[in-house]
Amino acid sequence: MAELHPSDDALMASLADRDLGALASLYDRYGRLAYSLAYRILGESEAAEDVVQDAFLSAWRGAASYRRERGNPRAWLLSIVHHRAVDLLRRKTTFRPAPLEAAELSPADDDTAELAEKNVEHKTVRDALEALPPAQRRTIELAYFGGYTHVELSELMGVPLGTVKGRMRIGLQKMRRALEHTR
Amino acid sequence: MTEHVTDDLEPYALGALSAEDAERIAAHLAACPACREDARSLAEVVGTLPDTVPSRAPRDVLRDRILAAARGDVPADTRPAAAWRIPFGRVRAWPIAIAGLASVAVLLAVIDVDASRRLAQATAEKDRWAAIADSVSEGGRWWYMAGKDELDGAGGTLIVPRAEGHGPFVLFHDLPKLSGKLLTVWLVSSDNTWVRAATFRPNGQGLQAVDVTVPVAGFDRCAVTLETAWTGPHTGTVVMESRIAPPPAN
Repeated sequence: MAELHPSDDALMASLADRDLGALASLYDRYGRLAYSLAYRILGESEAAEDVVQDAFLSAWRGAASYRRERGNPRAWLLSIVHHRAVDLLRRKTTFRPAPLEAAELSPADDDTAELAEKNVEHKTVRDALEALPPAQRRTIELAYFGGYTHVELSELMGVPLGTVKGRMRIGLQKMRRALEHTR
Repeated sequence: MTEHVTDDLEPYALGALSAEDAERIAAHLAACPACREDARSLAEVVGTLPDTVPSRAPRDVLRDRILAAARGDVPADTRPAAAWRIPFGRVRAWPIAIAGLASVAVLLAVIDVDASRRLAQATAEKDRWAAIADSVSEGGRWWYMAGKDELDGAGGTLIVPRAEGHGPFVLFHDLPKLSGKLLTVWLVSSDNTWVRAATFRPNGQGLQAVDVTVPVAGFDRCAVTLETAWTGPHTGTVVMESRIAPPPAN
């Protein structure tokens, strides 16, 4: 009998066997998060949907070559979404949403009680990010959500490249400690 | 081994390197367990950043689009044709079904007769054609699309089975293998909005069934274009099309 709630790893194994049901389950599990991430980066629903479609099809085609040491399936899938979205953003030379402002103007939609548990986990991460000094937080957000390279950030923020790298390093270290502390 | 790349691991994890620099780091990681472990640890932290994003739901149709595209992407040697997977129920002997199909063609009077004959000729050998014909003769709707230009001699039939629970699909015949190109099935509304209904790579076999997960109702036209991308708006040449809306009432 098929598992009612197969693990992500089990879904990946089924995906490698070209099981469309596994792809549907993976989408049901992470489609919303993937879309939210793509939308956050691109600020445009149609492009975000295209990126998500592209990412899931990439996972569908690449599942056989997926290796656990690259990261868990969720992280692997979201890294594809992130990579595709940033790549698309960088090709759009005329528009880049300002990540902080974009976040403030994009309140969560239709959050429901069934998402409450996830929201608690997400709040922990949000708190960890928001607890960072503004310069570190902004550097991390502009890099990850804004698609800026560290060289571009150096110019944008008017600080040496080493400072940008330092802010990233210290910011991510603090986040890691904060998340370890709460787990 | 090259020098450790510790200084660049954070921007690498955040995706904040140029493509060239990212490739350089990736090459180093492949050969350096120490840096690889650091990168893995950083990736875990960066992997939580999507959790800070306000949650948004995509349109429901996105799920269908992804599954339809994946279905069309299954390698030919591993994929059962969609039409054959649809449990049509009772299947009659194929000559009877073909006769039923012909009568429906006459009744609907929307079928290109010559193209229909070519389709029948191309597929008459296929015993399984009976299953499709059976569904059509029992009240399903279908529209034939003759190929043109690069697809001259090929064709496709958009079939909407009557039976509840069976989605529409297109049965293509004689599609050539198209190097580097894809075929996309579009449904076009009266205001000329094009909705991607399926994208697939022709498998070079005589018949190829492609599921259409977008409901056909409400659209005026079905078109098939040659494309180079799995996503995005239509840009390619129309190689098949048919009006699918009922004629306006007098």
